[in-house]
Amino acid sequence: MLDLRIPSGLFFAAMGAILAVQSVVSPGLRAPLTVGDVNLYSGLFMLAFGGVLLLLARRGRQ
Amino acid sequence: MNLATVDYIILALYFAFVLGIGWRLRKRVATSGDFLLSGRAVPVWITSLAFLAANLGAQELIGMAASGAKYGIMTSHFYWIGAVPAMIFVGVFMMPFYYGSRARSVPEYLKLRFDEKTRAFNALTFATMTIFSSGISMYALGLLLELVLGWSFTRSVLLSAAIVLAYTFLGGLTSAIYNEVLQFLLIVVGFAPLSIMAVIRAGGWGGMESRLPAVMTHSWKYMAHSADNPMGVEVFGMVAGLGFVLSFGYWCTDFLVVQRAMAAKDMSGARRTPLIAAFPKMFIPFIVIVPGIAAVALSKMNLGYNLPSNYNQVLTTLMAQFYPSGMLGVGLTGLMASFMSGMAGNVTAFNTVWTYDIYQSYIRPGAPDAHYLHVGRVTTIVGVALSIGTAYLAQHFDNIMDFLQLVFGFVNAPLFATFLLGMFWKRATGHGAFTGLLTGTGAAAVTHGLTVAEGKGGWITTVHMFPSTMAQNFWIAIFAWTACFLITILVSLVTAPRPAAELKGLVYGLTELPHDRDKAWYLRPATVAIVVGVVLLILNLWFA
Repeated sequence: MLDLRIPSGLFFAAMGAILAVQSVVSPGLRAPLTVGDVNLYSGLFMLAFGGVLLLLARRGRQ
Repeated sequence: MNLATVDYIILALYFAFVLGIGWRLRKRVATSGDFLLSGRAVPVWITSLAFLAANLGAQELIGMAASGAKYGIMTSHFYWIGAVPAMIFVGVFMMPFYYGSRARSVPEYLKLRFDEKTRAFNALTFATMTIFSSGISMYALGLLLELVLGWSFTRSVLLSAAIVLAYTFLGGLTSAIYNEVLQFLLIVVGFAPLSIMAVIRAGGWGGMESRLPAVMTHSWKYMAHSADNPMGVEVFGMVAGLGFVLSFGYWCTDFLVVQRAMAAKDMSGARRTPLIAAFPKMFIPFIVIVPGIAAVALSKMNLGYNLPSNYNQVLTTLMAQFYPSGMLGVGLTGLMASFMSGMAGNVTAFNTVWTYDIYQSYIRPGAPDAHYLHVGRVTTIVGVALSIGTAYLAQHFDNIMDFLQLVFGFVNAPLFATFLLGMFWKRATGHGAFTGLLTGTGAAAVTHGLTVAEGKGGWITTVHMFPSTMAQNFWIAIFAWTACFLITILVSLVTAPRPAAELKGLVYGLTELPHDRDKAWYLRPATVAIVVGVVLLILNLWFA
């Protein structure tokens, strides 16, 4: 059966990468009530989360 | 709310992944069991998150944020009293009978335990309810996208229906379950930052407490009398109505959620599914309710944020205030995912009940399995088409949807009494169960006809006024459950019971219960249940 950690890991890693790139392309982008770079922090978290899922899937295979 | 290109890219990425998962899973669908029951081979962590996600639709996300703004932390009762205890009960006490009986659905368990007419009553009402629930979900999605993005109602409904149809048609229940897990993770990742930022901006929990009336930051303190809190509900109504009848009636008997646990690969996994799901369930209020409470505090801080007059817009207005393009796309994708997941959950439950409990039982029994697989696939298409029709019906007759949701309450409330007696009293008979269900449903209707709340009900005469429709609904459930419970006992006592040998595996006392002695102590359902209970108690005391 398909290991769900693989598509989930890829999905979150891809989404994290998109947000991180968006943060680099538009560094001053802010919502009305935020001061921090929400896209950068969220993007990095999602990249890490996706990476952990992929790592777990790889360890599960081994 | 204006979306940028990056937001559409994220939305498209999600659609690509859900369709890709369905495409990959199509290869493992060879029998009707694979398509409709996942072949009972899904790992427990997946069934657990799906068990939770099947209930976490976008209406809940939007509705709970709205209730948070309207009622405060008292809304958490829908989780801490209205869900988790029932999840513990179904995992520890009821799953051995569901899974152990090898019934393929909840109506089929009723047939095995009672008789054909009780199964038919449950199968038909459940099939109707799932189609209308799916349609209501679609209708709400259409309204949201029309309001937020300016998309037309038809475009929103057809796009989401096409995607749901594609992945459920390809991969069946497994595909729906996998996508529910992806949806759950997306909701947590997409909405947890919103909650954190909103609370920090509002000055933390202490800052919120200082700006809000005390009734909004305490869950139990103002529940002694219904007049003391904005919900208009007192302790007994809350605990007996929501915490017992409605909650247990939903989590322990609704096939939509029970189906997820029954897809687990063994009995231990099936029992642990609702117990493991109870952990994240306890903490979901911090993602869906707390932002609503924070929104009220933010609106009092002269930050330029105004609380919308329609509380259902609290979540989306907060997203617009805290999320720039990019994260805005993640949040909206999470909302769309939860709508679609809600639809898929209903459609997969509908096609199982229709194929096994109605078509195979009454229309064409004894056909080869390939035929039922084909019927299951066709039913998926029909289920989605009927849901679309229901969404349009809701668009034109909004009051009909309110009425139908009320009727669903009439049907669901007494069902838990039927299951409780069926599983734990071997003397309960099929005639008793059927009569009890009809009487309970009738009692609910009569209670609604005799009471009034917020202008609703009282269509017979008015003998009592409730301070809120919520209190009215809780008391309708209490009367319906009690009527069903008593009538089932009375009729059972005067009708012939089935021989004990026929009830083996279906009733407590006649069934060898699993003890999981081969599992490590921390994997045993009893251990998990105790830990869940302790954490639940701490949360209730902390926010009392």
